[in-house]
Amino acid sequence: MYEPNTDVIQGTLDMLILKTLSLEPMHGFGIARRIEQISRGVFKVNPGSLLTAFQRLERVGWLNSEWRQTDKSRRAKFYSLTRSGRKQLEIETTNWNRRASAIARLLKAEG
Amino acid sequence: MSLWRQFTCGLRVLGNRKAADRDTADEVNHYLEEATAAFVARGLSPDEARRAARLELGSTTAVREQVRGYGWENRIHILFADLRYAARILTGNPGFTAVSMLTLALGIGASTAIFSVVDAVLLRALPYPNPQKIVRVWEQAPDGHRMNLANANFEDFRGQNNTISHLAAYTGDLLTSVAGGSEPARARVAAVSSGFFQVLGIEPFRGRDFSAEEHRPHGAPAAIVSYSYWRDYLAGATDLSQFHLRLMGGVYPVIGVMPAGFDFPAGVAVWIPSELDPDLGTRTAHNWRGIGRVRDGITVAQVRANLSTIARRIKDQYGKKVDLNDAAVVPLADAIVGDVRTALLTLFAAVGLLLLVACANVAGLLLARTSARRKELAVRVALGAGRFRLMQQFLTESFALSFAGGLLGILLAVLAIRALPAILPANLPRQQEIVINTPVLLFALGAILAVAASLGLFAAWRAVRGDVQEALIAGSRTYTGGAASHRFRGFLVTGEIATTLLILIGAGLLGRSFLRLISTTPGFRQANLVTIQFSLPTPLNFSQDESAIARQIQQLDELATRLRAIPGVQSLGLAGAMPVAAGDNLADGGFLILNGRKPPTNFEEWDRIAQNPSHAGYALYAVASEGYFRTLGIPLVRGRIFGGQDGLHAPHVAVISQTLARERWPNQDPVGQVIDFGNMDGNLKPLTIVGIVGDVRARGLDSPPSPIIYVDYRQRGMNLNASPTVLIRSTARLGEIAPVARGIFHDLAPDVPVKFSTFADEMGGWLADRRFLLFLVGLFAAAALALATVGIYGVVAFSVTRRTQEIGIRMALGAQRSDVLRLILGEGARLAILGVAIGIAASFVITRLLSSLLFGVSATDPITFAGVALLLSLVALVASYIPARHAMRLDPNHALRYE
Repeated sequence: MYEPNTDVIQGTLDMLILKTLSLEPMHGFGIARRIEQISRGVFKVNPGSLLTAFQRLERVGWLNSEWRQTDKSRRAKFYSLTRSGRKQLEIETTNWNRRASAIARLLKAEG
Repeated sequence: MSLWRQFTCGLRVLGNRKAADRDTADEVNHYLEEATAAFVARGLSPDEARRAARLELGSTTAVREQVRGYGWENRIHILFADLRYAARILTGNPGFTAVSMLTLALGIGASTAIFSVVDAVLLRALPYPNPQKIVRVWEQAPDGHRMNLANANFEDFRGQNNTISHLAAYTGDLLTSVAGGSEPARARVAAVSSGFFQVLGIEPFRGRDFSAEEHRPHGAPAAIVSYSYWRDYLAGATDLSQFHLRLMGGVYPVIGVMPAGFDFPAGVAVWIPSELDPDLGTRTAHNWRGIGRVRDGITVAQVRANLSTIARRIKDQYGKKVDLNDAAVVPLADAIVGDVRTALLTLFAAVGLLLLVACANVAGLLLARTSARRKELAVRVALGAGRFRLMQQFLTESFALSFAGGLLGILLAVLAIRALPAILPANLPRQQEIVINTPVLLFALGAILAVAASLGLFAAWRAVRGDVQEALIAGSRTYTGGAASHRFRGFLVTGEIATTLLILIGAGLLGRSFLRLISTTPGFRQANLVTIQFSLPTPLNFSQDESAIARQIQQLDELATRLRAIPGVQSLGLAGAMPVAAGDNLADGGFLILNGRKPPTNFEEWDRIAQNPSHAGYALYAVASEGYFRTLGIPLVRGRIFGGQDGLHAPHVAVISQTLARERWPNQDPVGQVIDFGNMDGNLKPLTIVGIVGDVRARGLDSPPSPIIYVDYRQRGMNLNASPTVLIRSTARLGEIAPVARGIFHDLAPDVPVKFSTFADEMGGWLADRRFLLFLVGLFAAAALALATVGIYGVVAFSVTRRTQEIGIRMALGAQRSDVLRLILGEGARLAILGVAIGIAASFVITRLLSSLLFGVSATDPITFAGVALLLSLVALVASYIPARHAMRLDPNHALRYE
């Protein structure tokens, strides 16, 4: 039985996180859910990878994080984009578009 | 920016790991709750939703670990965990830890201490600006022999070269009486030409350098003093104008003080201008040492070529009147170190080998422990520990061990370096510069790192290789390591034995040389000889006139008469130099054989006669008294020694040594021959040979007996080159004679400093460098031997443990105790024989490098080789006998059940 691959394309998780956060600050699950919804279920994010990616992006300085009280009076960690994160998103988007259209051209040419 | 963030974030995590862990846990839990809530919102029941969320998330623990493993701080965290674990392992095994640490401390401490000596003497730059530009300059004879510079040749070198910016001459230091400070002192004085201090690039820190006026021939006297003389005898005064030093018959105003640490030539306290007493301008009186500063952009080789050209020009111009035909130029640092280099490198090699043996020993111990820990390792691998992670663990352990041992070693080195001055030979150059400094510490650190890395990699490699499953199964019994690891330990011990043999042979060769040397008789009786070295109260010149000699004789006679009256004194002799101990400082040169010819009236005529080899000879020049021969016990072979009839105005007489008689008059009777040795004391009166005495090894015990011409002090007097010495043979001890003698000297010559000693002590000083080398190499050899013994014992004892069951079976099947003994001893013997064979093969190649340090034994001396091989084999047998005896006494019943 064929099961569709829902793994995030390698190397794009950072970009997806940055894009998602460019709309508004969000917590981990929110980001995962948003990526899943907007991609219409094509991508499912692995929670372990996601949470590790947060650490990495925060260290590099693209994300800020803060703890907020949720309505259920629990702590939740919210992430937001920094200015350099926004810049990075632009760079990655341009990069991705360049590469994606190149791949699209290649595939068309073959067909 | 991001690096800084990396750093601070990591630091925050490190600072409070618990809070960081709680944050991670909270975030993961929150994720789980949100996911559950989302499933509930889709219409699942709370229980189903929780299950679905968990399924999606996977194990929360795994996620937490994944997040936690991120960042550099995690590496550090692991390192700390490893360190804690290592500390637990090491403290949990105090015996192993103590032995390994001490072994490493010994190896690293000894190498660090020796390195500090090598660094100070061989490696460190001389304390002058651009020291590599300073060279020593010699004349070179056709046979390649280096000679000091004759004054006229020096002037030519200085005037005609274009490669040296300053060329200066200086005398060998002269130990003499210096008065005018707070009290008279025996101090070293050097006469230096203009440019001397510019060559070295150091100026007086107080006062000034000699002026042109003071460097003019027969110019104004002046003296520059060393820092320590200034501090000790001039009270560190600011105003130097009040001080006038009285030395060598002149008065010298002090004009400058050299800075602390300026020590060239070594030990000199007073420098005076050399132009005060210009010599005759001869081209064969090699009185001056040359030193120069090379011009910028010029190499030492270019300087040499330049001076060679000048030397050949001198040779062409003056022909037989000069004895040089070339020049030698050597960097000052190399010239100072001279032949100490071989001895120091030998020491360094010995200590390096010792470190190697120490490492092999610790490696052997590690190997045994790794084998014992295989089960633990197998379990950890089975539980998912990566090999890399395990290797990291082993590296951490060996680093902890090596650093603990290494730091202890540095501590030992500090103590050793404090103790060094007591055993360092006095003639080792630059020894006051030996300190623990940054290069020495870096060396120690490098040694520790090298040891740690090699031991760690070695242990890790041994630990992670092999089959986990096999280890787990084997682990069901007390597992003591496979045959492969045991073979490897045997390998280590073989290497250890070979290395130890090499050090032992080195020590053996040096030891046999030393024994040969001290059993060599100098040609006289050395026991019960008190020596008194002193300076004469009257000034000395090279050439003494008769009235000066008469005055000197009167003083010396009075002194001798009163000293002879001291209770216990049996006989007393006077000499112009201490034989043997003075070594190379004895005066020597060519003499004329007159054969009825008229004696020369001046030195030009003297030189002319000397050009005919059949009219010339070579000998040492020794001033002595009649009592000298009796006191030292030098036998009279023919003729007579000096007597009362040989007064100042009687015909001058000489006594010669047997070697000279044999060399110069092989088929004739030397007694009655007339010779002239006036070039030694400026006195052209001919000498008639009246006697032949027994040979003396005047140059040192390691030199053959010298040809010597003795002259009578009552006829020739002592001149500038003499260092007057009284030799007393006595039943009384030095401590009883010295106070009385001191009182006599004080009565007769209150300004004269006197040095009391015994001949044995003076000889001891002469032997000091050999004794030092022998002592240290012997010490290292003994340490290596002890380590090798422990190593052999360890391997054999371990083998007995490993083979306990086998031995039990053998005994149950009827093997006798002697069979078991043979079995175990055989194992030790195999290691020993292989190690000894390898060691001897290596020694044959390596000991040749020691040749220059040996005396009377060859570098492949069969007795030493055989003796050392035998010793090491015996030690190996004894070391294996102890565990063998244990094996022999095993109860088969017990051994069979041994687990």
